[in-house]
Amino acid sequence: MTLLEISELTLDLPNGSRLLDGISLRIEEGETVGLVGESGSGKSLTARAVIGLLPDQARTTGSVRLGQTEVLGASVAELLELRRHTASMIFQDPRAGINPMRTIGDHLTEALRLCEGKSAAEANARAKELLAAVRLPRPEDHMHQHPHELSGGMLQRVMIAGALTSSPQLLICDEPTTALDVTTQAEIVAVLSEQRASRGMGMLFITHDLNLAASLCDRVYVMSGGKVEEHGTARAVFGNPQTPYTRRLIEATPSISLSAAETAALAQQSGTLTAAGQGETEPMLAVEGLSKSYRRRGKATVDAVKAVSVSIPRGGALGVVGESGSGKSTLARMIVGLESADAGGIRVDGRDRTTVPRTRAERLAHARSVQMVFQDPYLSLDPRIAAGRSIEDALRLHGTLDSRAARSRVLELLDQVGLAEQYADARPRTLSGGQRQRVAIARALAIEPDVLVMDEATSALDVSVQAQVLDLVADIRKARGLTVLFISHDLAVVRRVCDETVVMKAGEIVERGQSVQLLAAPQHPYTRLLLDSIPRPAWESDPRESAAANA
Amino acid sequence: MLARRIGGKLGSLVLTLFLVSLLVFFSRFLVPGDPVSFLLRGRKPSPEAIAAVTEQYGLNLPVWQQYINWLTGILQGDFGRSLQFRQDVSVVVGERLPVTLMLVVMAGLIIGVLGLTSGIIASLNRGRPLDRAILIGLTMLGAIPSFVGAIVLIAIFAVQLGWFPTFGSGEGFADTIYHLTLPSIALALVFVVLVGKVTRSSMVEQLGREHVEVATSRGLRRAVVIRRHVFRNAIGPILTVSGLLVAGLLVASSIVEAAFGVAGIGSLLVQSVDRLDFPVVQAIVLLVVTAFVVVNGIIDVLEPWIDPRSAAGGSAR
Repeated sequence: MTLLEISELTLDLPNGSRLLDGISLRIEEGETVGLVGESGSGKSLTARAVIGLLPDQARTTGSVRLGQTEVLGASVAELLELRRHTASMIFQDPRAGINPMRTIGDHLTEALRLCEGKSAAEANARAKELLAAVRLPRPEDHMHQHPHELSGGMLQRVMIAGALTSSPQLLICDEPTTALDVTTQAEIVAVLSEQRASRGMGMLFITHDLNLAASLCDRVYVMSGGKVEEHGTARAVFGNPQTPYTRRLIEATPSISLSAAETAALAQQSGTLTAAGQGETEPMLAVEGLSKSYRRRGKATVDAVKAVSVSIPRGGALGVVGESGSGKSTLARMIVGLESADAGGIRVDGRDRTTVPRTRAERLAHARSVQMVFQDPYLSLDPRIAAGRSIEDALRLHGTLDSRAARSRVLELLDQVGLAEQYADARPRTLSGGQRQRVAIARALAIEPDVLVMDEATSALDVSVQAQVLDLVADIRKARGLTVLFISHDLAVVRRVCDETVVMKAGEIVERGQSVQLLAAPQHPYTRLLLDSIPRPAWESDPRESAAANA
Repeated sequence: MLARRIGGKLGSLVLTLFLVSLLVFFSRFLVPGDPVSFLLRGRKPSPEAIAAVTEQYGLNLPVWQQYINWLTGILQGDFGRSLQFRQDVSVVVGERLPVTLMLVVMAGLIIGVLGLTSGIIASLNRGRPLDRAILIGLTMLGAIPSFVGAIVLIAIFAVQLGWFPTFGSGEGFADTIYHLTLPSIALALVFVVLVGKVTRSSMVEQLGREHVEVATSRGLRRAVVIRRHVFRNAIGPILTVSGLLVAGLLVASSIVEAAFGVAGIGSLLVQSVDRLDFPVVQAIVLLVVTAFVVVNGIIDVLEPWIDPRSAAGGSAR
């Protein structure tokens, strides 16, 4: 029987912009359907339409049938009934989605007590059952805890448990793992699959991650610009994409599987030690035994970074991979001089850059050595300063260029990052995320630093934009011999940029080596866990096996 | 945990009051005028008379000795003698305190009810005409000084319509409430604006939060969502601002009391400053500061219940 049937759904805002344009989508009972696309494609809006959570001013046409009920134009009572018994939704960010001022127990029992009229004892018992079902370790204790006492992964389990209190027939998941680490994502996906199987629920799974969709979904719909580009079984869509958009999306998606050429190269050099940099000229960036710990009042000291040593030869690129809390950002902040090291040393191009600069002259000197591109271009650019101006400011601060020379240098830099002249006067607000990150990169490159540190610089971007930015970094590296320290939680992204990679866990480097080698033959169990956690299509083989087979 | 919190609060309360007592006591020496000449006003002071008065009020002692005497007196409930009434300050102030407290409590109720209601209604109709009307109305009210408001209220409700008395504070409980209705409205007006606007912006901020959407998606009725997830989370800023208003309310009461001829500590303060009656001024200022510090101390102690994250030292989001 058909659980959800959306046909020709169109959504307009009063200002005339059309956010959804003729969406048709169907979910059978017990089926898992993926909705993939980039930000702004309308996938979240489509999901919200299913339970009537659209903005007040939105005008809709078409039809959304959930079970026996037409959602568009449903009465308040009908909507409440649908939300209570037919469909539940899991949101992207559990930390924002669970009221921080109420206990976990309250979140779980609220709907049971206030909608179903269950007694407090009944609701509590049910809540504990569900907490156990989503594999939280201590249901009894969690009931009395507040959201800030739990980690993101635990909170997402709470969110799932909360969505299951009503025993829905359809579970809508809106990017439920995007805010989580890759290992946590694997655990959450496992819990979701388990619950789906045991309850026979239908599932609408929204994600921008094609591999995740391919690993989980029976059928997928690819959305772009408010339209469905194509749909079909996951294997058909991803294996044999019909539209150019889907093909571009698949190409842009970073992958950890190795090409035949890479495996061949790897097999060839097996045995020859990678003795790069040994005894040669001094590396561009040399970090020796760097440590940093944070003392917290009333709690145990945290060793954020423990005796970490890395070095990058001139023009090289080193990837740092790890989960949140692994100390990779602290390492970056110490290198750019935002944080002081407890022990160890940092040398950039032979100059000591260990201490946090105190005076203006020291700050300028440090900035000329190392520049950083931050994660979120929406936050790292001043909204009131035009793109060109923020680059020019950096030039003026460090150089003696007159305004005309500075101006032409700005245009040159913008050109280098692929932005046309007219963007010089654009405020960040009018730029897309990818354009903003290009401006941030141009600004970092303006003063020609010795080393560029990129801290999760593409994590906030869509895959296609991410691919463009990664290509850009590769081009600039080739053209100018830039030395790059690239920090990311995503091994697939790192391997696109970096020849060598170190894996960090709890402040320590647990494994290092050539990026390809790391993917093909991980030595440390943690690296293996990271690799295994990356979702891959159900029909695709393990990359290590294929590497072994090719070898 | 809680005992430690309250203990810490009490410690800082005592310290604050001590510092304020210093400020209050020594401010006397910054103001022109001499208590002795006030006491002997209208007479030609003979040196003996001056000496006698100086002796009687302890003004011949070293300043620090005077301060310690004053402070130990206060700790035993003795605020000294009023120069103008020639009575104990505690009696003078004690007679007038109930009226002012009544006035402030009534104004507080009006502020709470009108401020919260207008703010909540505005936030739930954000961007619609009703919201704009409330905002404009509040802004206009906020621009009216309390003495003007008092005069307008008297002109309309007391003189024209004759519904309320123009003057005095009445006898007995019901009569007092009747007499203080107009003054408390006049006092409340400006503060209604502040509480209303804070309520609105705090509610609007919470309405946009994702957890509100999550609660809605679970099939909770809108009223329940507003009460449990929007208003509940919006309380923090509203309480903080309300706490800060206490001092302003007590000070503004002096204007309103003067306008309505209510014999409370507000009008007493004005009168005593005018007549250089330092002991009374000191006592009232100390009282106002104490009320302010105590109210805000209570709000601080309540913080972990209002926002559980604050107990863990986390930042508010």
